[in-house]
Amino acid sequence: MGSTIMPALNTLYFYLTEGCNLACRHCWIVPHFDATGQHSPSLPVELFETAIREAKPLGLSSVKLTGGEPLIHPHFRRLLEIVRREGLRLIIETNGLLVTPEIAVEIAESPNRFVSVSIDGSDAATHEWVRGIPGAFEAARHAVINLVDSGTRPQVIFTVMRRNAGQVDAMVQMVEELGANSLKFNVVQPTARGENLQKDQETLDIADLIALGRHVEQDLAPKTKLKLFIHYPLAFRALHRIANENGGGTCGISGILGVIASGHYALCGIGEQVADLTFGEVGKDPLAEVWQENAILKALREGMPERLEGICSRCLMKEPCMGSCIAQNYYRKGSLWAPNWFCEQAEKAGLFPASRQGTTSSQDSFTTNGNAN
Amino acid sequence: MNQTDRPIPNPIVMLREEFDDWAVLYNPDTADAVGINPVGVAVWKMMNGKRSLEQIVAEIGNSFVEVPDAARDEIVIFVSTLAENGFVGLELERKA
Repeated sequence: MGSTIMPALNTLYFYLTEGCNLACRHCWIVPHFDATGQHSPSLPVELFETAIREAKPLGLSSVKLTGGEPLIHPHFRRLLEIVRREGLRLIIETNGLLVTPEIAVEIAESPNRFVSVSIDGSDAATHEWVRGIPGAFEAARHAVINLVDSGTRPQVIFTVMRRNAGQVDAMVQMVEELGANSLKFNVVQPTARGENLQKDQETLDIADLIALGRHVEQDLAPKTKLKLFIHYPLAFRALHRIANENGGGTCGISGILGVIASGHYALCGIGEQVADLTFGEVGKDPLAEVWQENAILKALREGMPERLEGICSRCLMKEPCMGSCIAQNYYRKGSLWAPNWFCEQAEKAGLFPASRQGTTSSQDSFTTNGNAN
Repeated sequence: MNQTDRPIPNPIVMLREEFDDWAVLYNPDTADAVGINPVGVAVWKMMNGKRSLEQIVAEIGNSFVEVPDAARDEIVIFVSTLAENGFVGLELERKA
């Protein structure tokens, strides 16, 4: 059975607004298009403060500001002040359009910070095909430059699809030249608009995605100063990368809670798509009660990873991986224990790594403690 | 019978080598698994119940370039950790 010890609530993911100033083809949140942020519901500042105040006794050490586009929140600078005042690690996911030199300087005032900027092509035509708005490419590039100039070396996130897959190597060069710290390759998730993109056959098939991962980890990573990550399930990541770096691909839900723009707590941002996965209202429902007593969170703590189904039940990496993304799995199958689509497709294609599969379905455990260095 | 200093793999444990020269050791009895690096793979392959740990350390020193001074201690810890977790045993003395 899984541990039932109450884990710390390390991070709140704030989905600050239901609007976005871009219209990306692969977005899994599906915000309204809103160039200014004046026309979409956004999380009131007082609820932002309330959630933080109630989360700190539960172990809160960092907040992620995301969206929609977080920088269109009408009081974004006030939110930055609150994060600084509370001494929290600041994480921002942005498309970069509003990262002016002034905002970049203000972000840099948070001593402990991580910023990612999404760029989905090495040229304007490709990026703007994905993102839907002319001028988005230059704005995103300048966001990275502004951040670097003010002392924040961001991560660039590149979501791979058919249209831009040929630009992977060029992206490494471009992002290195921009002075970023790292480049993460995301896989399109078949959720909301991403699901449509997959139906339109604009996404890579599973064999191409696995080959891309190998190319990134084996060929590109050793040749660049950038840290390179590919965000796919842990079973596909090279062991030397797992042992030496933190590259994601796992579900962190045991220490994370989402706060969506409507003022509800949720299992990360999926609560905007799936009402089942919202847990209560900020300011009305005490966060300690939500975190400790919510039936879904309790079920996850008690059932993960043993109750995972399908290929995930047989995977040696299931304990650290936790199904890679529980929200995505739930969206697709309506079950917290559903296997991850990527692993399921790989198994069906005979491409799931045999070395990472156990022969039993319930007790497998994996460690890298036995490394001889 | 007494234990020797000659490690020997648990025969049920499977060495599953991967594309980057690392490998997974998997024990289907206990369902425990551990990831090991290329040196660990070499050590695993040398453990046959005939070589002593010191002989294995010496052979590793001859097989790899730029072996650090700490290698001996790390290999000893590696084998001990595997033994603690049932992946490895020590060959028993045999009477002539």
